[in-house]
Amino acid sequence: MKKFSNLIYAVLPVLGVGALIGVWTILSLQEGTLIPTPVETWERFLVIMTDPISKATLPVHVLVSLKRVLSAFGFAIVLGIITGVLFGWYPRVKALLSPIFELLRPIPPIAWIPLLILMFGIGEVPKILLVFIGAFIPIVMNTQSGIESIDPMLIKAGQSFGCNHRQLLFHVALPASTPAILAGIKMALSSGWMCVVAAEMIAAKQGVGFLIVRGQEAGDTALIVSCMLVIGVVSFLLSAILTKLEGVLCPWQFKKTK
Amino acid sequence: MSENKVEVRNLTKKFGDLLVLNNASFSIKNGEFVCLVGPTGCGKTTFLNLLVKLLEPTSGEILIDGEPADPKKHNISFVFQEPSAFPWLTVEENIRSGLELKHMSAGVIKERTEEILNMLGLEKVRKSYPHELSASTEQRIVIGRSFALHPDLLLMDEPYAAMDIKVRYFLEDEVIRLWKATGSTVIFITHNIEEAVYLAERCLVMSPKPTTIKSEISIDLPRPRDISSPEFIRLREEITDMIKWW
Repeated sequence: MKKFSNLIYAVLPVLGVGALIGVWTILSLQEGTLIPTPVETWERFLVIMTDPISKATLPVHVLVSLKRVLSAFGFAIVLGIITGVLFGWYPRVKALLSPIFELLRPIPPIAWIPLLILMFGIGEVPKILLVFIGAFIPIVMNTQSGIESIDPMLIKAGQSFGCNHRQLLFHVALPASTPAILAGIKMALSSGWMCVVAAEMIAAKQGVGFLIVRGQEAGDTALIVSCMLVIGVVSFLLSAILTKLEGVLCPWQFKKTK
Repeated sequence: MSENKVEVRNLTKKFGDLLVLNNASFSIKNGEFVCLVGPTGCGKTTFLNLLVKLLEPTSGEILIDGEPADPKKHNISFVFQEPSAFPWLTVEENIRSGLELKHMSAGVIKERTEEILNMLGLEKVRKSYPHELSASTEQRIVIGRSFALHPDLLLMDEPYAAMDIKVRYFLEDEVIRLWKATGSTVIFITHNIEEAVYLAERCLVMSPKPTTIKSEISIDLPRPRDISSPEFIRLREEITDMIKWW
């Protein structure tokens, strides 16, 4: 029975993806459709892997986009955790600054694009800033809520060892909120990746977002779809890497669910 | 060092007009195991919070070694009813954590951690995380973590209230072993009279609110104590009669 159940769970995902490709194929074979067939998309993918568009092959475009995401991401992690800790641990800082944050938070990151372009032109800076905005917000929110929702027993236990406020933060509050912070980082990475594509679609000479727009301009739907799939796969891989990292940083969380 | 570890003098605590603790006075000797028993809601927790300065008394004072109680100066350790092991640390790291936070030397940390792991029989699961173990084991880790500090004063607030009866006997024997090995002064709060008679050298019986110390009873039965011996039953009934308010 167990073996059968394992088999089912191995087959079902393949079936799901197969069904998607099936529906895709049917749609793409309709009269007058713009949707490329899976085969056309695959062939287009193989071509852009080796033939450069705008002086870069697909892997280079992906790397250009990734570089933008990761450089913004580094700042977002450091500043986001610091801000989240300030909000979560120091009620006065929260009272002072969180209204500003709450006001800016609901603005979709892409709404910043026009202003950023006017202020910083179309170079790397506005793109990195946009990714930063997209990544910073979830990290702050998760860090703050992680710290605010610590089991009070753990704080009491720390206090009973004579911990001062600072020791409580570093030895109790931060380790206790690591899972929440990591969840925020995960959200930030996918949000940052979305932002970079958006930024590149509006003004860029390289990057996966740029490639999609190039496909639109050329009426090359196979290029658009293959880039969309690449964006999905890269995002999936990034999140898989972070899940692995979670296992390294919070082994106790993983054993818990086992 | 004076013989009395803890001196409570005329301790009174009011929350607004509500008198919770009324002129309670008692003392606890160095290295003594004292149980505080009283009906539920009689202000036991208020008393503990006063002792660790989470609350300030309305009047009266608490002295430890002749000085006003101060958790920053005195080595006071606390075990709560709800297990409070740090989930991100292994069993071994949990036991080390209190010693590390108190900046003990590496040698002392290692020696005490091994001693406690050994006494608790937790060497095999030293690399496990609290969530992988049972609730009673988690509470034992917390108790071990507290005793590892060799505290001047260890406060235990109904630590076994959530445990089933079989585990309790085992844990009660264990806490006595730890107490003897470390020579700590222990204040153990419980509403379970049998537990109090089983553990304590002396029982302080508290009255319902406004709480005061109604009576104290020395228990010098040999250990391990036999809960079915006539003397044990007599003491248990004596305390039960004192607590009865119905």
